[in-house]
Amino acid sequence: MVADGSNKLDPRLTTEFCGLPLASPTVLLSGCVGFGEEYTRIEGFSNTDVGAICLKGTTGKLRHGNSPHRVYETPDGMLNAIGLQNPGVDTVVDTILPDLDFSETRFIANACGSTIEEYVYVTKRFNDSNIDAIEINISCPNVKEGGVSFGNDPDMSARVVEACRNVTTKPLIAKLSPNQTDIAYNASRCIEAGADSLAVINTMMGMAIDIEKRRPIIGNVQGGLSGPAIKPIALLKVKQVYEVARKHNVPIIGQGGICNATDAIEFLLAGATTVGIGTALFYDPLVCIDINRGIGDYLTQHKMASVRQLIGALESP
Amino acid sequence: MGKENRNTIFIDEGQVHAIREFPDQQYIMRIEAPKVAAAARPGSFVHVRCDPKIPMRRPISLMRANADAGWVEIYFKVVGDGLAALSDTAIGECVNMLGPIGNGFSPNPESKTQLMIGGGVGIPPMLFLAEHLNSDPNYDWSPVVFMGSESPFPFDLKASKIALNGIPSDATGCLPEMEDCGIPSRLASQQSYEGAHKGFVTDLAAAWLLANPELQASTEIFACGPEQMLHAAAKLASEFGIDAQLCLEEYMACAVGGCAGCAVEVHGPNGASMKRVCVDGPVFKAREIYLQ
Repeated sequence: MVADGSNKLDPRLTTEFCGLPLASPTVLLSGCVGFGEEYTRIEGFSNTDVGAICLKGTTGKLRHGNSPHRVYETPDGMLNAIGLQNPGVDTVVDTILPDLDFSETRFIANACGSTIEEYVYVTKRFNDSNIDAIEINISCPNVKEGGVSFGNDPDMSARVVEACRNVTTKPLIAKLSPNQTDIAYNASRCIEAGADSLAVINTMMGMAIDIEKRRPIIGNVQGGLSGPAIKPIALLKVKQVYEVARKHNVPIIGQGGICNATDAIEFLLAGATTVGIGTALFYDPLVCIDINRGIGDYLTQHKMASVRQLIGALESP
Repeated sequence: MGKENRNTIFIDEGQVHAIREFPDQQYIMRIEAPKVAAAARPGSFVHVRCDPKIPMRRPISLMRANADAGWVEIYFKVVGDGLAALSDTAIGECVNMLGPIGNGFSPNPESKTQLMIGGGVGIPPMLFLAEHLNSDPNYDWSPVVFMGSESPFPFDLKASKIALNGIPSDATGCLPEMEDCGIPSRLASQQSYEGAHKGFVTDLAAAWLLANPELQASTEIFACGPEQMLHAAAKLASEFGIDAQLCLEEYMACAVGGCAGCAVEVHGPNGASMKRVCVDGPVFKAREIYLQ
């Protein structure tokens, strides 16, 4: 909200991402907001308050996902193992995308697969749609094939990105896993393979145990840890990837535990162009309004004209 | 899903008006929530921020909603840090909630008797439904209510004066909230609580169905409670060839359909699929959940 009380976003928050103008650097993360309409159930929530929305991970065919329990609260965060439940790309493209209001925000698809061929099929289907960009999910920790098993191997990551690059002209984002030794090297391989942007980071693998039942709480045994607990790790990964990405002018979606404007500004300073909001939505569905306002206040306080001035503006210690 | 569901869930942050504490850390809390109260339906729930230091919300069934007075009542039993923190909320302090969420019960107006089975923290939606039907000016509903609990019942129980066919002789107590508006109710527990049948709540329901064969075909079952109780209620419905609606619970993150964290297997005409308890439920047909 701007100073005159209107609902229009502060123009200083306008940014550019892979050639797309965004009204705000805030991006709602894949897997947290379904296929783009679910949060609009809540009075006061508007898709116009965010720069972009990443849709639920989509595979070539319908996937039922994992057995319950799929989510569990942990200190300063949560575990999830949804298992890419989705109706399949044909249904998403043919019946879900036509209902989305593209005048409200930008929509980014999230393409997943168990094989390179499946990634390619999904990407191709989205390329022939009105989606604004495509995120290649090579880092889902909750499926047995594809996902993070591709994303932790720089060669496989590059092969997936290259194959998808060959079938789309839309902005292509590689979503990187934190569960690997050298994320910066993987980032450089993805850029060489044709990625226009990098999403840093996906969840970290973890688990929880019910000591009375002596069983894992999550049906899938392991799940992805998100929330404030992983924020310092995510921040460092963004800085490491930025050292590589800046040379190629490749923007980063910084994500991992961002809950407020201070967190968001930290990620921008570390090199992110946009900031992904996920778990914080579960705490406060209207959190992006506060984040937008807080970034605007920071710009005012520091006499800055645009949020873009914050990107990578981290000083040496 | 289009825009038809927009602005159907509200955020209320209101003061706690009243708290009643019962044994075994059970609480009934009345909270100011005018927007939630105005739209609440039996079976719907709220997603409550228990404490600012525990940011993940907790899904809690609605027990009552008063649209005119602008409050809702919830009943919960402390099972972890979140609900412990909520139980520490003082009168006058504020609680933030999202709601009402989910599809509530849909009783068939052609059913003659609405047989309600509530267990533990599954009691509140049953109470809400019974009171709601009782005050419905459009239909002449006839609820019969059976409640079970392994903790002392969070109500001021009294002896029932409404006769119920076939009910074991040790089930003499009832819920005054039901009795006072003419709704027959009985209680069950594995514990030896005075006035409560020693056994399962579904035993009471089975006994009533057996003793009233003329009502069996036109009875519909509504149930909320522990998984074993829901399974028994579904089995009962199947044995007597009647419809049943079950109100489920599952761990939740967003509670508005965004994360699919609460999905359970549901059996439909096209086979099994995963449905979200939050917005596709929490009420499902029994035969969709348990294949008999």
